[in-house]
Amino acid sequence: MEILIAQIFNGLSIGSIYVLLVTGFNLLLLVAMIIHFSFPVVVVFSMYISWFVMTLTGSVALGVAGGIASAVVVNVITAPMFQHIMRERGSVDINATMVISMGMGMIITDILSHTFNQGFPIAFPDALTGNDQGALISVGLVSISRGQVLTLIVGIIFVAFLFWLLYKTRAGRAFRAIAEDPNGAKLVGIPLLKTGFQSYALTGILGGVTAVLMAVLLGSASAGLGDQLGHKVLAVSIIAGLGNLTGGLIIGLLLGILEAIIQGYLAGSWSNAIAFIVMLVVILAKPKGVFGSKL
Amino acid sequence: MAQNDPILKIDSLSVSYGHVKALSDISLEVGKGEIVVLVGANGAGKTSIMETVLGANVPVGGDIEFKGIHIGGVPVDKNVRNGMFLVPEGRGVFASMTVMDNLLLGAHHNLKNSDKKLQLVFDSFPVLGERKLQVAGTLSGGERQMLAIARALMSSPDMIMVDEPSIGLAPIIVNDIFEILVNLNKEGYSILLSEQNVYKALKIAHRGYVLETGRIIKSGTAEELLNDEAVREAYLGA
Repeated sequence: MEILIAQIFNGLSIGSIYVLLVTGFNLLLLVAMIIHFSFPVVVVFSMYISWFVMTLTGSVALGVAGGIASAVVVNVITAPMFQHIMRERGSVDINATMVISMGMGMIITDILSHTFNQGFPIAFPDALTGNDQGALISVGLVSISRGQVLTLIVGIIFVAFLFWLLYKTRAGRAFRAIAEDPNGAKLVGIPLLKTGFQSYALTGILGGVTAVLMAVLLGSASAGLGDQLGHKVLAVSIIAGLGNLTGGLIIGLLLGILEAIIQGYLAGSWSNAIAFIVMLVVILAKPKGVFGSKL
Repeated sequence: MAQNDPILKIDSLSVSYGHVKALSDISLEVGKGEIVVLVGANGAGKTSIMETVLGANVPVGGDIEFKGIHIGGVPVDKNVRNGMFLVPEGRGVFASMTVMDNLLLGAHHNLKNSDKKLQLVFDSFPVLGERKLQVAGTLSGGERQMLAIARALMSSPDMIMVDEPSIGLAPIIVNDIFEILVNLNKEGYSILLSEQNVYKALKIAHRGYVLETGRIIKSGTAEELLNDEAVREAYLGA
């Protein structure tokens, strides 16, 4: 029972990472109208930049700022590539954007595995992760780290902020209009490219914050992490229903908990395989996603 | 009507979609305070004219002037800012969004005074006020058309283009919608209307243009067109 409680908490914190990544992916899908399954690779890139700045300057604060800034920069400078396709086609072209996303993912992963730390996995300093201070709460077998609590709290705050932005602000209203009917949005005078560009910047901030949370929670990163997360995020989004923000939130958390429970009771290395078997069963039963696609 | 002082002036406009020519050599005018109707069958080019004026299509030739300024190739958001708005065919309301959100989208380019504008709209369309927090998907066809027109008003336009407002509506509702358009026109809005319900449209319009396969084949005052033999035969079944 204690293992179960500990692993559920563990799963919630890793699940909130999945939720942030899936939400970023879905926002780009809905508003920028691209399938950017390498978005998690960009996030891992930001983890590396964050690590690099921390190592170079010794400052955690600068590392955090650098990580967030790098995600925004990568998203914003790659936006014109994606938007070029949108402008040329005059309509949503998901296939071509997938090629760009795939290429970006490969290039970034290669850069990470050749350039930083001689290709070895990176480890974040204790000043960021708080690992040297031990567990925050420790009752019997249940131990909850500072990183887990921080990830969960910031994750909740950030998702709440995103939903506030989507449902209570002018920009959010335009985002939702484009998500529902891009052509209709254009006809009422919403500039598609400019609004799409805002969504790249927003998901950049989202990705940067996620990168910092992942650094705190995982304490380390390797070049292959982005691809692995990319697969999971794509799977979660499709299983929840492409573009379904609430669905992504629920399935993301459930995946985190499922993985953590598997890790709690079985050899950890099986968690990916079992998680994907469960997801296969779900997608076979619900090919259009559990909560329905919003595309 | 003040035809010597047009709010919209289109001169030899041509539009193509790929290799398909949608409009050729279209010249027409909407005077300030006029209701002008575009008459023609499906595919005659009515929607193409409106969407090109709005800036959703880029013309291959010709000139469009709105309030004396050349606007060929100007994007939609700038044209909306300059005072025109399209009520699209099929209403184009966002079904998953609330009535309130839909209205505010009309004022997206300028949310200043939006509270005041909302109040005016709710005074004119009380049913929208009662349902402002409902999603637009729950409205009836007539209410959606009202919402689409009210959304246009939220943009503070000088000219409203209304594309096929009667499609899919019961005749009695169509009368209501046409009455709304007449009242808006009396308040000073210039209106470019496209309709397949030719008789009703010509009854409320000042002037009209008859389109066939992307060309204007006839134009005149509403009365002239109503009495024209060819128009009567082709569109009024008499």
